[in-house]
Formats: sequence, structure tokens, C-alpha cells
Amino acid sequence: MIHPIQSSLATKDGTVLFFVVKNTIHTLRWEEGRGEFVAIGMWVDDADNSDTIKAKVREEQQRQLAENEAKRQKTNDGNSNKPSIKEAKVPVPGQGAPPVFKHIRNMALSRDETLLMACTDSDKALVVFELDYTNAENCLKLRKRQPLPKRPNALTTTTDDKTVLVADKFGDVYALSTKEGVVQEAALEPILGHVSLLTDIVVAKEADGKQLIITADRDEHIRITHYPQTFVINKWLYGSKQFVSTLCLPSWGPNLLFSGGGDSLVHSWNWESGKLLDSLDISEIVEPYLGDAQLAPEKFQNETNSLIEYAVAKVVTFANIPYIAFFVEQTKVVLICRVDPDIGAITLAQKIEMPFNIISLSSALSANLLTLTLDNRDSDDSRFAAFISYDGTEFLVDAEKNNAFEKCVLHKFENDPIVNVEPRDVYPLYHIASLRKRGEHFS
Amino acid sequence: RAHSNPFSDHQLEYPLSPDEMDWDRLYPHFVDEATGAMTKEVTIADIGCGFGGLLIDLSPAFADKLILGMEIRVQVTNYVEDRIIALRTNHAETNAYQNINVLRANSMKFLPNFFHKAQLEKMFFCFPDPHFKQRKHKARIITNTLLSEYAYVLKEGGVVYTITDVLDLHEWMVKHLEEHPLFERLSTEWEDQDECVEIMRNATEEGKKVERKKGAKYVACFTRLPTPEIV
Repeated sequence: MIHPIQSSLATKDGTVLFFVVKNTIHTLRWEEGRGEFVAIGMWVDDADNSDTIKAKVREEQQRQLAENEAKRQKTNDGNSNKPSIKEAKVPVPGQGAPPVFKHIRNMALSRDETLLMACTDSDKALVVFELDYTNAENCLKLRKRQPLPKRPNALTTTTDDKTVLVADKFGDVYALSTKEGVVQEAALEPILGHVSLLTDIVVAKEADGKQLIITADRDEHIRITHYPQTFVINKWLYGSKQFVSTLCLPSWGPNLLFSGGGDSLVHSWNWESGKLLDSLDISEIVEPYLGDAQLAPEKFQNETNSLIEYAVAKVVTFANIPYIAFFVEQTKVVLICRVDPDIGAITLAQKIEMPFNIISLSSALSANLLTLTLDNRDSDDSRFAAFISYDGTEFLVDAEKNNAFEKCVLHKFENDPIVNVEPRDVYPLYHIASLRKRGEHFS
Repeated sequence: RAHSNPFSDHQLEYPLSPDEMDWDRLYPHFVDEATGAMTKEVTIADIGCGFGGLLIDLSPAFADKLILGMEIRVQVTNYVEDRIIALRTNHAETNAYQNINVLRANSMKFLPNFFHKAQLEKMFFCFPDPHFKQRKHKARIITNTLLSEYAYVLKEGGVVYTITDVLDLHEWMVKHLEEHPLFERLSTEWEDQDECVEIMRNATEEGKKVERKKGAKYVACFTRLPTPEIV
């Protein structure tokens, strides 16, 4: 079988589409005249992280030796034997150890769309690509690979595109140059931090051009921090009742911000005033689409086995029309809402059902086009993705694009040894539900 | 238990925002009977208050201020609660100790859920967990990223008090506070004339333990500088 597509990202005009399958990034171009997708670039993350692990093991070994040496001198006076230094061994996971997945997650484009950035799980790195569409072989040219201390989880750029801001699972945000070379890991200092896993990061611009970093975490917090003076916190946005998984800044609403997460609400905020403007309760809307996938884990389940838990996985918007689109993890439906740009009120406009569970959602901002990737693994169906476009009055599934995509992907992946896998080797496709806090520790 | 992991998902109670915090439960003596509103807000916080010795000594020294201890360990918090209830009962006729109380909280995560911007005048960090291992340094209560949160809840001219018997931790805290653009160290002359420093050196259980062992106590105090112009 062909591995499902984990995520996608489109340029603003919707002509170029990047998508991730396992440890590969694929790039397609939409040829409007011919009505087909053409493959224009690909990158495989073949990083062998044993060198970085080796370096870390060696460093830790040295540190421990130095520490032991110091202790030895304290206890015996001068009778210490010099310990022999062994070559660092790379630890190998034993039998039964959980499998390691070389995910590529959270791609982002620079604002001028000349760079593609992504986070790799294999060596916890930020990768930056130059997009060179004149190169007929491959438009993705790796500019740098910056290893980070902890697993990166979300990224964006500053308004001038000179700096990438990477938020990690340890709660820290690093600012890294898009141009300059790789920085030694020891020299990296976070510019801001939460004591919580960071789930998303966006940069807002005030009327006078000053920048604010908005970060979301799994402790219900949305924090706004000045940039570049990240030591000055502007405010927190209070009102999320569960972890926050996604942030979305529209260009059409002054100071508006949308957020979603584990609390069955989609919030609209004014980040300038700090006010919660509206919270759309989605519980009734999504109820018909929930199923066994949303049952709480056995350990936390109630006596009647009826405890349901779900979370909004992603909220996206468009450049010129006041709509937002979002979906709940492991459901088949994408929800499209109209927003009043002046007061931030959210109203459900459309529900569009997909043939399979949605894995990811992205928007080609100025093309008013949504790309959804689908979990088709338990079927013989080859619909890996779906496109939804706006015709001026409503959103419609774009059958032409769907067919063209299916054709292109089937042809491209036919003999690709990386993406053809056994069902048991499919990467985990859903990551949001596990953000829910359980409060297992009582003391 | 001596330690608690600040990164774990604890069974914690905290308000969704500072506005939703129920302070009257903690300081019933400071509730306006007519309106039901608080007459004062907390301006002094003892982060990781342990067994509450500092709170109890600060109480008479700052009788007109509300002082809150925050502690992550359940049993320790319960002990301090009982201790304050007993003190209040024994001093019912003078209403002493009505201005102190304790909360179970993970202040490294949820400080902004309890306090508004610039609400606090003083924050105490007395004998914090040293977290000796280098890879555990983020678990220390003073880090450059957390200092920005402390600066947010502190008012201009507010003071961060630190004391420890671990020289390495002292140097770490001083280094990070000195590097942070919103804090400036106060002089030893200032420390010598400040009554909180005096109390902090002698009041806490940890401080007394160090005293008995004739160990060193390292103090460092920092003032919250004005926020510079945002660029």
C-alpha cells in the first residue's frame, strides 16, 4: 500500500503544493492549462543521527569522567587511577522498544515564498530549503540543517523573513537566521519559554509595524511576547479550557486571532485588547461525526464507557474572504465558518464530508483553496487528498483537482520504495489527542 | 516527599484567569461585607514557600499587605494551611495572621493564572530546589525564560529576593538575573537595611537548618527595572 500523506502546504496562489509522506517532502505544481499536477521536487530526510548521538554520548562521558575525577581527588589524596577512555557507543533500542519514526512535521513557507522550512524528528533539526523553480530536476535545495536541543514542533518567520522562530516540545522558542550558517547547539539560547509543550507559534504585526510572537501550549495558555524584545511579555489570552493545539491569524480582521484545541470550542480573540470575542461551541456540530476513535483511553474511561474526547487539530483561513476552516482530529468533516471581521463572531457556514478521516488541512491563502489529506489506508481507494475551492458564494469539492492529484500521485509513487509500506509500518498520523493532560501525579 | 517534578501533569486547581481567582476564601478578613469584594490584593508572593516559616514572620511585618505562599507539594501545603488556621484561631482577638495564606500551585506553569500584570511588589525564592544535574537546569525556578514571567507580574521597582545555601545555584541565579534586561541587582548596603532580607535569613525552616549546620547562606536581591520602550 501507499503510505497516507501526513501534511500539506500550498503557496498563497495555490500553484505549488508541498506534502509530506514519512521522511520525504514532495513538491507538485498545478498546471492550470493542462489540468494536471507535475512533480517538481523531492527531498528525503536520510539523516543518520548516530553521529549526533555519538557526540552527545561522548560529551556526557567526558562530563562524567571529569566529575568522577573531581570527586576522586576529594576523597583519596592523589591515589587515583586514570580511567581509560572508551569510544562512545551509540545506544541501540532493544527488542520491543517503540519504533522510531523519522517524521517531518510542520512545514512553513517564508512570507516571500522563496524558502521552505520544516522540522525533522530524526535529529530534531530545522531544515531550510531555497525554492529554485528554474531547476527542472528538483526545486528543493537544502540550504541548512540546524540541529536543536529538543524536538521542534512549530515554526514561523519574522515579518522580514530573516529569522525563523522554532517552538519546541520542551517549551522553548529559538530564533535562527534563515541566511547564516549552522550554530553550535551549545551556543543556542531560547528567546522565550513556557514550562509546557509548545503547540503553535505565529507572528502578529501591530499597526506601527512592531512585532509580537504569539505562542500556544498544552496548559491552556496563549502568550503574547514582544519581538525582538522577547524579555517583555505583552499579555496572556485567558479563556481556553483545555490545551491549545492551533493558532490562526487572519489578514482581514484587525487584531483577530483564532484558536482551537481540546475544549470543544473555537475561540476568536482580539490580541490587541486581550479580549475573548467569541467561542463557537462545536459539540453539537461534530457529534454525528464522532466515533470509537474519540473514546477516552481505557485507563481514563468512565463506567459506561461513554466518555468522549476530541480536539480541533487545525484552524486555517484565507487572505481575502472572512472565513475560517477547521476539523476535529480523526473525523471526516471539515467545518467552514463565516466570521464577522468587526466583532469576531463565528457562524457555521458549511460542513463538507470527506470519504475518510482527515489527517491534515492547509489553505492556499489568496486562492481560497483548501487542501486536505486523507487517511485512506483501510480502503483500496487512492484518494490521498481532497481540494475544496470557493466559487464566490460557497465552498465546493474540486473534483478536477482531486482526480488530477490522484493520477499524479499514483504514477509518482508506483515504484517508490519509501512510500510503499506494509499496513503495520504506517507512521502515527494523529498527534493531537495525546496532548490532553491527565493529572496522574497527585503529589 | 522532598521533591516534585514541575513538568509532570499534576492534579492541580487553578483559575482560568486572575479575574476568576477566588481570593475571599483565602483572606476572609479582607472581604468588604457590603459588596463582597476584596479590599486588598496579594502583593507579596513566596514561591515554593515550603513549611511557611517566612510567611509567618512576614505577616506581622507587613500587616497591611496580603502575602501568598505557593507550594507544589500537597502534604507540605496541607501542613502550612493547618499551621495558618491554628495561628489565626490562637490570635482571634487581634486578627493576626489574617493576611497570609498558602496555595497548592505549580508556579512555574501557572503564575499568570493567579496574578495580573504588575500586581506584585515582592517575590521570594527561598532555598529553591538546586537541581544539581546539568540536564535538569530547566527545572530550576530561576531561568532566563521564567524571569520574563516574573518581570510581568512584578511592578516596576518590585523586588526579587533569593537565598540559598548552594553556592552553585546562587551563582546561577545571580547570573541569570543579571543577564535579564528587566532586573538589576541591589547592593549589599541595601540588603543590610532591608527587613525582608533579615527575616529571610532567619525565618525559613531551611534557613534554620543551615544555621544549625553552620552552613553559608547566599543572598541576592534584584529590582524590577522599568520596561524599556518597545521597538
